[in-house]
Amino acid sequence: MRMLHEQILAKVAGERERIISRRGLMTGSAKVAAGGTLALALGGGALKVRSASAQTDEKDDFFEDDIAVLNYALTLEHLEYSFYRDGIGQFTFGNDPFGQSIDTNLAAIRDHEGAHVDVLTQVITDLGGEPVEEATYDFGYTDAASFLATAAALENTGVSAYDGAGASIENPDLLTAAGTIVAVEARHASYLNLVTGEIPFPAAFETALTPDEVLEIAGPFIVS
Amino acid sequence: MLKRMVRSQHPFAAALPFAQDDDAPFDGPVDVLNYALTLEHLEATFYRMGIEQFANEDYAAIGYQSGVRDYIVLIGEHEATHVETLTGVISDLDGEPVEEAEYDFGFTDLTTFLATAAAIENLGVAAYTGAAQYLMDVDGLLTAALTIHGNEARHAAYLNVVTGTSPFPNAVDAPSTPDEVLEIAGPFITG
Repeated sequence: MRMLHEQILAKVAGERERIISRRGLMTGSAKVAAGGTLALALGGGALKVRSASAQTDEKDDFFEDDIAVLNYALTLEHLEYSFYRDGIGQFTFGNDPFGQSIDTNLAAIRDHEGAHVDVLTQVITDLGGEPVEEATYDFGYTDAASFLATAAALENTGVSAYDGAGASIENPDLLTAAGTIVAVEARHASYLNLVTGEIPFPAAFETALTPDEVLEIAGPFIVS
Repeated sequence: MLKRMVRSQHPFAAALPFAQDDDAPFDGPVDVLNYALTLEHLEATFYRMGIEQFANEDYAAIGYQSGVRDYIVLIGEHEATHVETLTGVISDLDGEPVEEAEYDFGFTDLTTFLATAAAIENLGVAAYTGAAQYLMDVDGLLTAALTIHGNEARHAAYLNVVTGTSPFPNAVDAPSTPDEVLEIAGPFITG
């Protein structure tokens, strides 16, 4: 069985032409609207908490072992870190409703994602695995507003991805380590919802998503 | 035993405060869920009291927009939902759900209420992070706990911003053991 990140990259490659041609037809404003819709779909409670049985039935199909789960997480962390690293300098964001600098907080988020990439890469290596590397991405943002909307979508997706994958982890210390990361992703998501005018905590429960569901959202950002 | 062996060999072991402790602090999943329910009762009651005590005018008086109280109300609703859900699950597992206790949170005005809210939410995140590994044997319970954990982290981030601190002060959220959590939350419980 291929590692999950290999499956992701293979699927992404297959869909690349279709995505590119679709993007070619979209105007700048349509891209922003699409990002906003995505953020709404993630934050609006439209997606229900998955049942316990669904999680149990599906998890073994996705992950061969803990290294595969960690590489799945690393795939998303690479995507997030790259997003902030390359995008932050392009725009000025001003202050949030409570007077904090959004630019400063985005820089902190970038540093967190970078730290997550480093720690996951290290742990995968220590466990004898091969850490997935950074890919090439196209996030499609055109201005500060669409950058923030995409950031919110990425963070909310990240929380759902970790929550959906947590039960697949076998080693208790790795589960705890993943928990220390997902909490920070949820904090990021809360803040980015706040600055994009969404409810910071849209539901009493997070939405746990399967890798396939996460791929559907995050895949189009991965060019190669 | 297997878990102990894996734990002692893992590179993360030294970094985690409880990883060296081979004695699990919980007697099975119901005990873990009751630990969570204990904290959720505390939170739900805390917000109920604060929402009753402080009106929109109080928020305006210390410079907040009216929306802040609405979000405090929403957080209170989430905590009440967590109480209901955990109580239901514990009952379904033939356990005995812990009941609401009596509390004294010591807040005297809206500012101290909000500061206490931030402290309680950040503590809740650390408690769930630390306890999650004791639910690993039951995937559905673990996932459910994780979906609450993330919600608490969202509350914590918001309340940090409201109280003028960083919403995400660290790259990773340190876990707390039940003993560490009790040391902080215990003084709020009066009976």
